[in-house]
Amino acid sequence: MSCVYSERRSKRHQQVVILQRGKAMSIVLISSDSYEEGSEIAGKTAEALGYAYLGREILNMVATRYDIPQDKLLKALDESPSIFGMPAKIRHRYLAYIEEAVLARLLEDNVVCYGLAAHLYVLGVSHVLKVGLISAREERIKRISSRAGISEAKAGKLISREEKRQRQRSLEAFRIDGTDPSFYDMIIRLSNIDPDDLVKTITEIVGYRKFKPMTYSIKCLTDRELAARVRAVLLAGFPDVRVQANGGMVVVETTAIKREEAKRVAAIKKLADGISGVSRVEVHVINDIFRQAAESFR
Amino acid sequence: MPERLEVLLLDDEPIVGKRLKPALAKIGCDVEVFENPREALKRIEEKNFDVVVTDIRMDEVDGIQVLEYVRKKSPRTKVILITGYAMMALARKAMEKGAFDFIAKPFQPDDLRKVIAKAAHALGSPLNFEAVEINDE
Repeated sequence: MSCVYSERRSKRHQQVVILQRGKAMSIVLISSDSYEEGSEIAGKTAEALGYAYLGREILNMVATRYDIPQDKLLKALDESPSIFGMPAKIRHRYLAYIEEAVLARLLEDNVVCYGLAAHLYVLGVSHVLKVGLISAREERIKRISSRAGISEAKAGKLISREEKRQRQRSLEAFRIDGTDPSFYDMIIRLSNIDPDDLVKTITEIVGYRKFKPMTYSIKCLTDRELAARVRAVLLAGFPDVRVQANGGMVVVETTAIKREEAKRVAAIKKLADGISGVSRVEVHVINDIFRQAAESFR
Repeated sequence: MPERLEVLLLDDEPIVGKRLKPALAKIGCDVEVFENPREALKRIEEKNFDVVVTDIRMDEVDGIQVLEYVRKKSPRTKVILITGYAMMALARKAMEKGAFDFIAKPFQPDDLRKVIAKAAHALGSPLNFEAVEINDE
């Protein structure tokens, strides 16, 4: 009897959620090559829209949840891959934890997100307005030159190097070039527009019907959030996993040598099956030819 | 007793109408099913439906054209687009042109029922959604 009651209650809850979904709002993602200016614009946009602001403060929560020093999470976000830097496996894991937390927050809608590289993992989600803010190169050079007390020529070189690193970072972590302008819905040059007008422009554009959440876009985001959650769980034991979700169905891709395949599949299934929202797990194993070859020479 | 919702369902794959018609009837919809977009447009010309559910990729007339036609003829009608070729640009285009919702195939009949219930709510004639067992397909 109580089971039937709770089932009914859950159906009623589901209906309320469905109807509330109708009120769901869009999401604004802002990236900028000037952290302070971008942060200010993002904050003002959130205020103007009455949305929550999601910035790097979320790293504190991730750090606590996974018991990782916050500066390491910042490093994972900002540092380029190098042989002397953070090992790639650890960097991927930290980025996956950040991605998981950010996507969970984005699912709640009504949010302006800034400085978390989120535009790289919400590709294809139509109710997310992706805004890129760029400052004029000359201004950046002047700013860095005066702040760091270096010549403008040196500041110019620093900027070029940073741009190259930024590209490397996104390619290494997400396999896409995050500096590609096509990932944005709009790119605005900060020097060309007054900050208040810029905020007004963003708030107006996000109100366009095309950025309204719909069943398809909400599903896209929900799938990405579930995949990120599963990946975050699996990464500690299986650093090479790639995860995709569709509805509650989760497909995990991993590499293994033949004799470890069954064991690995069972372990992944056991871990993923227990995650809320997962209804079915499929594991695709790609033969690890390098390890296989190394083992055969033993 | 809530009023019945008049729904036109257009998809050139017969299985879609066959499967969805009874599923929607259960939540209080009177459904007319069409496989030919020209015939559907003719019917839309004759009658104002509460909801039009249409596939996007069809020969001769596509779902976006159906959407445009319905919006012009009966702005009150809620148009729901369904497609097996969902992409961000298409989804945005559909919303921009006034679609009520956009759903990617494959989906469960229950997914469409939820959207129809939302449309009915927006039209001010809520369906007796509790009358059906969710996930009963």
